[in-house]
Amino acid sequence: MMNVMRTDNITMQFGGLTAVKDFNLELNKGEIVALIGPNGAGKTTAFNMITGVYTPTGGKVLLNQKSTVDGKDVYNEKDITGLRPDQITKLGIARTFQNIRLFKDLSVLDNVLIANHLRISSNVFESIFKLPRYKREEKQMVEKSMNLLEKVGLADSRYEKSSSLPYGQQRRLEIARALATDPGILLLDEPAAGMNPKESDDLTIFIKRIRDEFDLTVFLIEHHMQVVMGISNRIYVLDYGITIAKGNPYEIQNNQRVIEAYLGVDEDA
Amino acid sequence: MKRNTIYTGTALLLLFVFVYFANKHLDSYLLRILNLCAIYTVLGLSMNLINGFTGLFSLGHAGFMAVGAYTTAMLTLPIATKQMNFFLAPLISPLDKIVWPFLPSLLLAGVLAAIVAFLIGAPVLRLKGDYLAIATLGFSEIIRVVFTNTQTVTNGALGLKGIPATTNLWWSFGTAVVTIFIMVSLINSSYGRAFKAIREDEIAAESMGISLFKHKVLSFAIGAFFAGIGGGLLGNLMGTIDPLMFRFFMTYNILLIIVLGGLGSVTGTIISAFIITIAQEFLRFLDEPIIPNIPALPGLRMVVFSILLMLVVLFFRTGLMGTREFSWDKFFGFFKKRPLSNGGAK
Repeated sequence: MMNVMRTDNITMQFGGLTAVKDFNLELNKGEIVALIGPNGAGKTTAFNMITGVYTPTGGKVLLNQKSTVDGKDVYNEKDITGLRPDQITKLGIARTFQNIRLFKDLSVLDNVLIANHLRISSNVFESIFKLPRYKREEKQMVEKSMNLLEKVGLADSRYEKSSSLPYGQQRRLEIARALATDPGILLLDEPAAGMNPKESDDLTIFIKRIRDEFDLTVFLIEHHMQVVMGISNRIYVLDYGITIAKGNPYEIQNNQRVIEAYLGVDEDA
Repeated sequence: MKRNTIYTGTALLLLFVFVYFANKHLDSYLLRILNLCAIYTVLGLSMNLINGFTGLFSLGHAGFMAVGAYTTAMLTLPIATKQMNFFLAPLISPLDKIVWPFLPSLLLAGVLAAIVAFLIGAPVLRLKGDYLAIATLGFSEIIRVVFTNTQTVTNGALGLKGIPATTNLWWSFGTAVVTIFIMVSLINSSYGRAFKAIREDEIAAESMGISLFKHKVLSFAIGAFFAGIGGGLLGNLMGTIDPLMFRFFMTYNILLIIVLGGLGSVTGTIISAFIITIAQEFLRFLDEPIIPNIPALPGLRMVVFSILLMLVVLFFRTGLMGTREFSWDKFFGFFKKRPLSNGGAK
């Protein structure tokens, strides 16, 4: 198995508070990895450090990039610590948000089209005067976006305002939008939040499907244990910013520290 | 699609005929109002790109207009008039020998305004909301103060007089039409979508790979470019400019237009630019004594607009058009009433 991304002891301190301490993550190609932990454990902070929203106060985020030299694939690690979110997205790490962050007033199609913009090579003059290169790119963008919308089952509502979609579909649109940036790694922040058991089952199948179809590595934060256990190859558990366990779902379910973190410790014992 | 192109062509032709006859038969007062309508359309669109489409609350428009107006005036003033204007301190070389035609002067005015916008935008556009508004407002005041004190370049507080009155209906409406086409094309392009994404949600836009800095500065500079051109047109319409013309009041006027028209609507801005410019003339009687024996209240006219702005902001926040736009399909759909059973409107 090949490593696509890893973090080397990333730490995030807000003043005197250490939100995440020495977090070491390793993602292998094609894996689905989950990050769990009680509320306030620092899961989203870890996400934000990887995606560039926060710059870690310590440690490094390293992306394993493939390049071709003399017809051979060469891998080398690139330090992406402290890059801006848009630069990191360009390098192939896309994300969704815990509280859905769609472009609410724009149409479903526009939401996905916007995520294509980062790969545009036409400049603003070519775009204004609709020169051939821009026209070609625009056509490709629309085709690709429609393709994505069809895959997530939203093609029929492409002209609707994104905020008018039902909750579950908004989640799917957010994933489609992230996929439009051509990521290699997809980070999902609580994709099943607010979903009923039926919807979360569908989501589990959906995430596995897009992983295979788009050749992705998925890293997700989730609270629904049903989803987490059903989907993940490996799980990391955070509590008060410290990694208290990592391993496959079976190991995690039987880990004493994880059970304590979730259920509390009997003080009298 | 093709049908709509024909409609647009016809509308342009009608506008052409209208301008032709208006130029010949209307008196100078009406011509002045029509010119102002078109110029305010250009200015409104340029500010709406920044404030309405990209969501940057900028109040620096008068500054960009001043740059444009002074550039155009300095380049188009005849040499003799320049010497007459600069009697306190002589104009520096080589400006005292340069006389350019109107079009290149206007374009350079736009380019200079855009460069100024880039220089000011680079540090200031990191700010958000109210802070950006304060910083840009301060910037436009700085420009005004600089222009007041650079006696050898701008003639300082004396202003410039005798600017050739080149701006006529052809220039103003021509510029307005070109601006409308460029703006509509821009905001419907991939870059325009990126601007709107920044307006909707900066964090999400950045996470989708849109460089906030690059696109904010781009929008700011393009907006300033047209503000500079609008300023240039205005200066060469008035015939005289001075730094006091470009106080906050100027920015407020344009802000009024885009808020009433709808932040984020080209159509709304155009309609509102015409309505407000015409209404400002139409309501002039309010500044004169209305009731006998009660002295006139100069400025009462502007109170009307301030109240209007308050009402819009309080009760009708989307303005005239919201973010909706005119399209031929909607236009004809409005007249062609479908039967109610087919989903037609009442």
